Formats: sequence, structure tokens, C-alpha cells
Amino acid sequence: MTKIPVDAAIACSRLSKSFVVHHQVYGSVKLAAVNALRRRPRELIEVLKSLDLTVHRGETVALIGRNGSGKSTLLSLIARVYRPTHGTISVHGSVAPLLELGAGFHPDLTGYENIELYGSILGMGVRRIRERMEDIVAFAFDAPDLAAKADTPLRNYSEGMKMRLGFSIAIHTDPDILLVDEVLAVGDEAFQAKCFRRIEEIQRSGRTIVFVSHDMPVVRRAASRTVWLDAGTIRMDGPTEDVVEAYISSSDRNHPIE
Amino acid sequence: MPTPSLAQSPGPGADSSLPELGPDEGGWTTIIRAQRHLLDLNLGEVWRYRDLVFLFVWRDFVAAYKQYILGPAWHFIQPLTATILSTVVFSKIARLPTDDVPPVLFYMTGSLMWILFSNCLNGNASTFTGNAGLFGKVYFPRLVTPLANTISKLISFSIQLIVLMLFYLYFTLTGATVRPSAWLFTLPILAFIAMVMGVGTGIIISSLTTRYRDLTQLLGFLVALWMYSTPVVYPLSMVTGRLRSVMLWNPMTPVIETWRRGVLGVATCPPVQLWYSAAFAASVLFVGIILFKRVERDFMDTV
Repeated sequence: MTKIPVDAAIACSRLSKSFVVHHQVYGSVKLAAVNALRRRPRELIEVLKSLDLTVHRGETVALIGRNGSGKSTLLSLIARVYRPTHGTISVHGSVAPLLELGAGFHPDLTGYENIELYGSILGMGVRRIRERMEDIVAFAFDAPDLAAKADTPLRNYSEGMKMRLGFSIAIHTDPDILLVDEVLAVGDEAFQAKCFRRIEEIQRSGRTIVFVSHDMPVVRRAASRTVWLDAGTIRMDGPTEDVVEAYISSSDRNHPIE
Repeated sequence: MPTPSLAQSPGPGADSSLPELGPDEGGWTTIIRAQRHLLDLNLGEVWRYRDLVFLFVWRDFVAAYKQYILGPAWHFIQPLTATILSTVVFSKIARLPTDDVPPVLFYMTGSLMWILFSNCLNGNASTFTGNAGLFGKVYFPRLVTPLANTISKLISFSIQLIVLMLFYLYFTLTGATVRPSAWLFTLPILAFIAMVMGVGTGIIISSLTTRYRDLTQLLGFLVALWMYSTPVVYPLSMVTGRLRSVMLWNPMTPVIETWRRGVLGVATCPPVQLWYSAAFAASVLFVGIILFKRVERDFMDTV
């Protein structure tokens, strides 16, 4: 096992992840019996292949790569949505996944009630959620006509409003590590700018951020270090400028930029 | 391992925001491994998420209250319907005996315990398929879901007990002869066995349905079959011969019979049989948890 530096926030060691191809999954008792007779082995896709990656405390790391290169799978593994097939991930500190915002929201509960519910799903205790309640509501519902909505059932919210609320709750869990998938397409431009400012604040306070993006200007602006994933392995890892440069020129050669 | 050259230096206050190093796991807050022992329930983590357990319970109640016009009355309707239906069909039409106890009380007593069991079973049978969306998006200890589910069912059972008490009072005041026995005090034990058996069977089914989706369609049928082979709508006393010894193998039989022995003073199932029920419930739960942990590990791996 590779030696893990003391100041690491996330350390992946020989991390592999495979998924079962859907048509191979036994969908029913009948199919299982048929497949047992045929004795076909299960077909696996290896999305991450023995990856070693250490993210240091206070770093902001961008994950780039083509679709299917394993970026989102890596984030989901760190967020514990999936379990590694091989290898380990050591995580130091609390993690806030901004991956699927508002998972667990209930349409019949009010904004306030959903804040408590989603906050607890993210591992916050109810007492802490109540302490942060005002901040969460203020961040999500900044316009005065929106603030009144916090007391109405979520089914009256637009998709955009739900995302804003989800983002606001997740960001107020005071995480040591923030995992961001391309969810920053939340709300209107003003709200997006606000999210960015908030993330930059978190950056400045010395927290660790790992994010996935296809948007090179955003990567250049936010990340000090960039990891380029290609077919489940690290193709390049280093200062953002160098990696993005190499990535773009390779994309120019082989494929148009996504 | 590649080292970054542009790592930002942590700003002031960074260290105070980091949790203290734990004594074990080499200071790591979380170590995510490929394999975890199937019996490692990680109850400490479930305890850290206790607020979520109660919010899930509360959500189930509040959401039900907001969705249905009947709201909390729903808890009364389930045993009342079962009682009225049984009284009409089995007592008035089929003229089945009820051990000389008023039929309404007989059926209500039996159904209450059966409803606890079947609610625990049905409520947990869709843990994985019903929460696939949530489980695929965010991590929390999955055991929280069946735990919250079961607590909801227990609360519902306690509410239903009040209804039984009211009916009980009414019937004794109007002169019916019902003789409760000291077995009444085994209620917590009986409810616990019924609950454990229901939860165990439920999570076994929930784990199996992730692979065999067609099992869900069989579930209603299986539960009905189980109910009719348990003396819920008839007393065990009217079953004789070989059929009776077969019925004693049904682990729910002693639970229902002992419960009626306590409340109504009538039963023919030897109470010692409860040991068998308890052992059965414990084994079912044990198998259930192992399957649950297995499925919890692999269930999201399907594309």
C-alpha cells in the first residue's frame, strides 16, 4: 500500500470499480433459472482501474476527462454512494456531496421541514440544522417574494427552486470536504454567481474541494490542481494550466471539445 | 504517486474546522473498503444518524396525514375493517366458533397482532426497490430505513391497542364474560416476536426482490396464505388431528394464540411453543440482516 501523506484529505489506494452490465442481471426468478442453466458469467465493466490519488487538505482539485472516463464514479465512491470493487478510500473529515441535490425531498413537506429532512440525510443533527436554518433559508430564498415560500409544501416549488434549496442545505453542512459534480447549473445567473462566491469562500477557509467539470474556464479559474481521467486511469495529474493545455490539445487532435 | 505543485496553503482557521483524529483507524474519519464483514452492522454510525431515523418516522406520519383526508384515522380503519369483515364473513355467514368470546373482540384481538406482523413485513419488503432513487444518490446507513419503518409500525400498533381497549371496555361493561389472564403481561414480548419476524421476513424479501423483481407480485398472495394458515380468523381449538400439529409449526400460531390467551383467556396452543416462535424470529432476522448487508453492498452496481 502506498504511504499516505499526513496532510491528505482523501486518499484512494488501488481503487477499482466495476459495474454489472444490465442485460446480465437476473431480473426475475424465471430469468435466473434460465441463466443458471446457461452458466453465463456475469459481464462487468471496469470504470475505475486501480487508481491511486491523494488529495491534500485545502486543495481544490478538478477532475476532467471525456464522458465515461470515471470522473463521476470517483466522486460517488468518495461520497459512499457506491462501494469500491477493490482498494480503499480514506477520507479525513466530513463530506458534503453536491452530487444529486435534494435527494430525499418530500413533496408534501414544507421547505422548512425538508431542510430538516435533507440536512439529516446529509448527516447533520437536527439541532445543528435548526441553528443554521435562517442562513439556509436566506441563501436559498434571497428574494422577498420567495422567502414566504419556505413555509409551503415543496410540490409548489419549481425545479430550480428545489435545486437552490438543495444546494443551500448541502453547503451549510460545514463540510471539510466538498464534492461537486456539475450541479452548478443551479438557478439563474445571479444565483450561480452566488454559489461560486460561496464555494470560493469555502476554498479560502482551507477546506478541500473536488469537482468534476467539462467547462475549462471554470476549471482554470477554480482549481489549483487538475487530474485528467482517461478510461478509468489517471492520464495526467498536476498544475491546472499544464493539464488543461494537454487535455485540450489532445481533444483537438482526436475529438472536438465536448 | 504524482504530487501537486500548486497546492493551496490552508488558510487560518483551517485546522480548527477539521475533526480531531480518532484513536482508531489511524486518524481517518472514514475508511471505505471494498469488503466489509456481513455481520458488521456499524450500529455506531446508525446511532449518529438517529435524528434521521426519527425524521423518517415523522415524515411517514406527517406525509400520510397530509395525503389522506382521513389522516391519523387511518390507523383505526385497518383493524376496524378487518374486524367488521371477519365478524360478518366468518362469524355471521360461515358461523365459525370464536371460543365463546364476543366475535368482535375475538377478531380484533387476533387481527391487531397479525397487522403488526404483516405491516412490518410489507413495510420492509420494498426497502431497496422503493428507495432505489434515494440510495443511488446519497449515502446514509441503509439500516436507518427499516429501523424507521419498524418504529412507525410500532407506533401505529400502540394506537390500535387503544381502540382494542375501548372495545374491551364496552363489551365488559355490557356484560360479556371475558377473562383476561396473566399472560396479558407478555404483550411486549409477543409484540416483539411478531415485529422481529415481520421485519426479518420483510428484509429477506426486500433483498431478494432486488434480483427477482417478480417476487413483489407474489408477496400479497404469500402474506394472505400465511394469514389463513395462522389462527387469526378462527380459533386453534377447532383444528384437530394432524392438521393441528402442522399448524403448530407455523411460528405465528403461538404468538396469536398466547396473545388471545392473555386478553381473552382463551387459547389451546401450549405457551411453551413461544420459544419456537422466538427462535424462528431470531433466525429470520439474522438471515435477513446478512442478506441485507450483502445487497446493500452490491445493489448499486447495476448499470
